[in-house]
Order: sequence, then structure tokens, then C-alpha cells
Amino acid sequence: MLLKRLISIGSATVMVLGLAITVGQAVAQEKAAAPAAPQVKPTIAKLCTNCHQAEPGTLRGNFDSVAYKSQSIQIKIDDVTEILKFDKEKLQLVNIPPFAESPSESLYSLKRGKEIRIAYTEKDGVKFATLVSGKTSIKVAPEKLMTTADMEKLIAMGPEKGKYLLIDARPAPRFMEGSIPTAVNIPFAAFDKMTEKLPKDKNALIIYYCAGVT
Amino acid sequence: MSPNSAGRAEKLGYTNVKVYHEGLPEWLKKNYAVLSTQFLKEAWVDKGIPHVLLDVRSAKDAEKGFIKGAVTLPAAAVEKSLAKFPPKDKKAPIMIYDAKGGDDAQKAAKALIAAGYMPVDIVTGGFDAWKTAGYPVETGKLAENIVYVAKPRPGEISIEDFTRIAMNTPSDVLILDVRNQDEGNAGMIKGAKLIPDEELDSRMAEVPKDKKVIAHCSTGTRAEMSYHKLKEKGYNVQFLAANVEVDKDGKFTITK
Repeated sequence: MLLKRLISIGSATVMVLGLAITVGQAVAQEKAAAPAAPQVKPTIAKLCTNCHQAEPGTLRGNFDSVAYKSQSIQIKIDDVTEILKFDKEKLQLVNIPPFAESPSESLYSLKRGKEIRIAYTEKDGVKFATLVSGKTSIKVAPEKLMTTADMEKLIAMGPEKGKYLLIDARPAPRFMEGSIPTAVNIPFAAFDKMTEKLPKDKNALIIYYCAGVT
Repeated sequence: MSPNSAGRAEKLGYTNVKVYHEGLPEWLKKNYAVLSTQFLKEAWVDKGIPHVLLDVRSAKDAEKGFIKGAVTLPAAAVEKSLAKFPPKDKKAPIMIYDAKGGDDAQKAAKALIAAGYMPVDIVTGGFDAWKTAGYPVETGKLAENIVYVAKPRPGEISIEDFTRIAMNTPSDVLILDVRNQDEGNAGMIKGAKLIPDEELDSRMAEVPKDKKVIAHCSTGTRAEMSYHKLKEKGYNVQFLAANVEVDKDGKFTITK
């Protein structure tokens, strides 16, 4: 298993060679097979798997940058960067706000990190984007919404006097960087595992927040 | 994530579930966030993620023991020391601690937030909590000047290094200009080679393998894309994440 991992990393070739001599046939075969199998890149970011699955011809991740001068878009799928070409005239945009300064180049309106889906075709190892779709924000019924002013009042009282439980639904590493005072962390992805952190009283006030409307 | 979580809670039978949908980014415009000493250590200090750490106790108290990397700035002096801070648009994370996580830290945080800085975080329990947790403590003089350098993107070359190399490019380095031909026609850095980012995939053979490649364009966007393409093919490559203007004589100006 360890050997396999070493082989799958291109830059570790020297180490692999050293090992191959001592370990023999099995490793040699694996090594020969390694260059033929291209490195499999993820097509969907972990975060997106909360609601979506990997699909052929589709990338899901965070928008990184766009260059209309070279008609290329850069998307980040966790730690991997993918660059796709596109044809400015033909690229379909869905749920991308118009860019006022240049409506034909509306990908410029996207902020780095925005969750997007790209449909693409691939030819000769070059990915060609045909559609870019921005994640639509989930609507929350107005009676369930808290404003910043509401939050300031409650937090000044504290959870006991204010009778609330404030839950930060972001992943733990984000929570650790800083959170709204009095919040506890129950990442959305860990919801089922952490239900014991919820109040016993089903009528208690629970307030969720995360990194904002995305 | 918060609306989804709220939906799940309602399914479990909770009847009074609300969502602060604007969330942390909106909160931070007018309020501070908090983090524990453990989180300060694990999420920032140990990972070496750039931030500003303010010790807002009196300099005399701070010198007896402080958190590594902290800058001394007593709470009362914050408001008149704003010029010391990185420009607001850098959004440098500012962490503040006092003795116990009390009024001094809040006072300093409020002054910074009122002046438009964000994100501002207060370390819960202050220096006492840090010390109680058994985390390393430094003594002696604290830094007085705030130094904040945003974390570079992978493959990014500093403006200083790029400038030095571009002024007098060594023979084992290639400056790769990935702008379009018409942009190159208006002026190029001396000794640079132009391959538009668009054409890089089909013209990669023109890029020498035995040289270190440094890509630039007019803003850094295309240069970064070229960086990734070359990196994937095994090139030793970096890119300049900055705006570059080159005049007819090859004189260039770089701005971030």
C-alpha cells in the first residue's frame, strides 16, 4: 500500500527505484503500470458532496479566476487546480450575475471561492468548458431569519439569559479561526453524529449561521 | 450550510429554529469574533497563517510574558495608532489579547472595527488562559511595528525577487510573458519570451526544460494559469501575481 502511494506520486520516482530493487517483481510491475494510468484528479470538491455526486463531464468546486484574454477559467477542487478553456461566444452562463462594466464577460463578477459547476468536453487532454453555473443561494423563510441587530441583542444577553443555542455550521477548521461569541460548532457534515449537542427541549431557540449566503 | 442544518433540526422535531443567514461575514463588519487560546495556537500560530497578534496590556506587563509574534499596543493607544496597521483592504486577520479577555481587548477591538478593520478576533481568557494551558511564553521586548505579509499563492514569486531577476535575467532563467501578442507588441521585459497563455498547451515544446520559468501577464491571472499548466508538465516554474505594465523600451512597473 505504501509502495503504491509512493509510485502514484510522480516526484517520488527516485525513491521508488531504490525500493524496487529490494522488493522485486511485484513492485517492478506496478512501476511499469504507473505511467500508463494517468493521475486521477477529483471532479467534485468535498464540500459539494453534501448535496451532489460526481458526474462525468462535470466539475464542481470553487471559482478561482478567469482570463477572457486567453478564454480560460480556473477552478479549485479542494487542493487541485483545473484550468479549462472556453469560447466566449458560446459559453453558457447560469446564475452568474451580470458584470456591469462588460456584460459579455460576466464571469468577472464572480468572487474567488464562489461555488460553481462547470460542464465540459475534453479533447486531447484539454478540457473545454461549455457551461458555468453558480450555486444559487438557499432561500430561508422570512420568519426564520435573524438580522445582525437581533444577533447583537441576544449575544449581549448570553445564551442563558437570551435562552438560545447558537450553532456555527461551518467545518471545524473554519470555526477554529474565529466564531461569533457564544457559538458551538456543529459542522453540517457532522450533523447526524452530533445530535446529542442539541437541546433536550424541542421548543428551545436554536440559531444556525455559517459563512453567509453563498 | 446553515439553512440545510436548520432543515435537519426541524426534521428532528425542533420547533423554534432560526437562521442568521448573513452569517459571519456580516457579523464581522460591526462586531468582533472570538477564539480560544487553543484555537489561536492550532489554527494560526502553529500553522504559520499570517495574522496580526496584538498584546493590548501595558508594555510593562507584556514584557514579563507574552505570546510569540505579538506586537505591543496598549488598548488606549489603538485608536491613535491606526496608521500602524496594514491597509484595510488587505483584510489582515487581527487577533487581540489582554490579561484575561476583558475590557481592554474589547476596547481595542471596538476601536479597530469602528475604523473599518475586519476580521477582528478576541482571544478568550487572554494571556492568563494561554499561560494556564502551558503554551510557550516569551519574555523581554515585544515588537512595536506590525508586519503583515499575506500568504503567497502556491508558485507565487515575490515582487522583489521578480524585479531583481527581470532587471538582469540570469542565463538559467526564462521570463515567460503569457500575454497576447498585441499586448507584447506594445513592450516586453528584456529577454522575455512571449507565448500567450491560450497557446501554451500547443506550444509548450518551445519552453526550455532546463531553465527555471517565471511567468507574468498583465494582472497575474493568466500567469497563474500558465504556472499550473507548466507545473503539471514537470517544469520548474513560478509566477508573478501582480499587475505588470511594460513600455516600449522594456521598462516595467509592477503594482499589487
